[in-house]
Amino acid sequence: MIVDKIKKRAPSAKNKPSNIDIPVGKWIKCDECGEIIYIETLNKNLNICPNCGHYFRMHINRRLEQIIDKGTFESFDLKLETSNPLNMEEYTKKLKALREKTGLEEAVECGTGKINGENVVICIMDSGFLMGSMGVVVGEKITYAIEQAIEKKFPLIIFSVSGGARMQEGIISLMQMAKTTSALTKLDKAGILYISVLTDPTYGGVTASFASLGDIILAEPKAMIGFAGQRVIEQTIGESLPEGFQTAEFLLEHGFIDKIVERKDLKNTLYKLIQYHK
Amino acid sequence: MLKKEVSGEAIAKSMFEMAKLEVPIICIVIGEGSSGGALAIGVGNKVFMLENAIYSILSPEGYSSILWKDPSRIKEAAEKMKLTAKDLYDLKVIDKIIKEPDDEDAFNKICKNLRKEIVSSISEMKEMSKDEIVEHRYQKFRNMGEFIKI
Repeated sequence: MIVDKIKKRAPSAKNKPSNIDIPVGKWIKCDECGEIIYIETLNKNLNICPNCGHYFRMHINRRLEQIIDKGTFESFDLKLETSNPLNMEEYTKKLKALREKTGLEEAVECGTGKINGENVVICIMDSGFLMGSMGVVVGEKITYAIEQAIEKKFPLIIFSVSGGARMQEGIISLMQMAKTTSALTKLDKAGILYISVLTDPTYGGVTASFASLGDIILAEPKAMIGFAGQRVIEQTIGESLPEGFQTAEFLLEHGFIDKIVERKDLKNTLYKLIQYHK
Repeated sequence: MLKKEVSGEAIAKSMFEMAKLEVPIICIVIGEGSSGGALAIGVGNKVFMLENAIYSILSPEGYSSILWKDPSRIKEAAEKMKLTAKDLYDLKVIDKIIKEPDDEDAFNKICKNLRKEIVSSISEMKEMSKDEIVEHRYQKFRNMGEFIKI
């Protein structure tokens, strides 16, 4: 009897509108602890899980809000598009779809802004755009930003997050490593401060070029940083690697980075460093 | 151990120092050059390639496995990647292709061709000042890759 009743009630219960209104896309699950978090709450908490402290990756606009004084950011607004050197058809389609989905022009945004009133040239990468990979547009935008830092005599700050050089543009992507690095030699000669901030994950050709060349290198806690991925290295050398290999903490211990800075302290740390080097 | 951890930084530093050198640099790809390791010693005023050498972002094996998650598509990757001397010359990544004649005396002929190109490049750059040499190299890499203004 009871079973029959449940059976009868079940379909109508399904159709009945729920009292709790959960809009689609307003909630997100923490990869670390599984907690379901309201996106607004997450945004207000600097994209850090309120339950376990896990750092979510940040959209360029969130990062700008966090680091740059309100209303002071001015994009260089270069409006560039790759020439698609390998003529990959699916690549052009993918870029178009990503631009619409993310509202971003490419995997990096560059411009000038103020940090507690101090002028800076700032570049911020975004993992949501082809894993923050560097092709000709990213290389050109970073290089242009470096040249602007020299011209304006503003300190340069680059927030890196990247899978490395962009495979879809082949050797041209590789060459962007030399391009950005060469530009940094000019910044160095001009005596302009460059602070590189490594966030999770920073890999490949980005680690092997501008990200590793900061006068000061900061990293967010637990960020994964490396050149080749752990699995690839283990397969290549046939040895297993120590635990925590490629974490910011491990690299700090081995002298590769200068300081691990919590997200909430990043803006003030950058401000202080700019002050010291004035 | 330390080497494995910071190979990325080593590549960056190597390119950085090369970009600053005040003497002419000539780089020649003589076999298989790929990824950051090759570029770390590839920041030259002139970059040559032997006719049958390859120079790429990654090995075709790695490329197909990363881009298509399918390591078996090596042949397709090798064709798409544009890694031959001719491809790279067309993409303006290299300055010269060194001919490799296919005969008994090939080795001597290749050396002779190389020697000729090296000597002529050195004499071309001999008259440049230190600043001009550095700037020449800078402009070469500054202009790597074409893009479209939207």
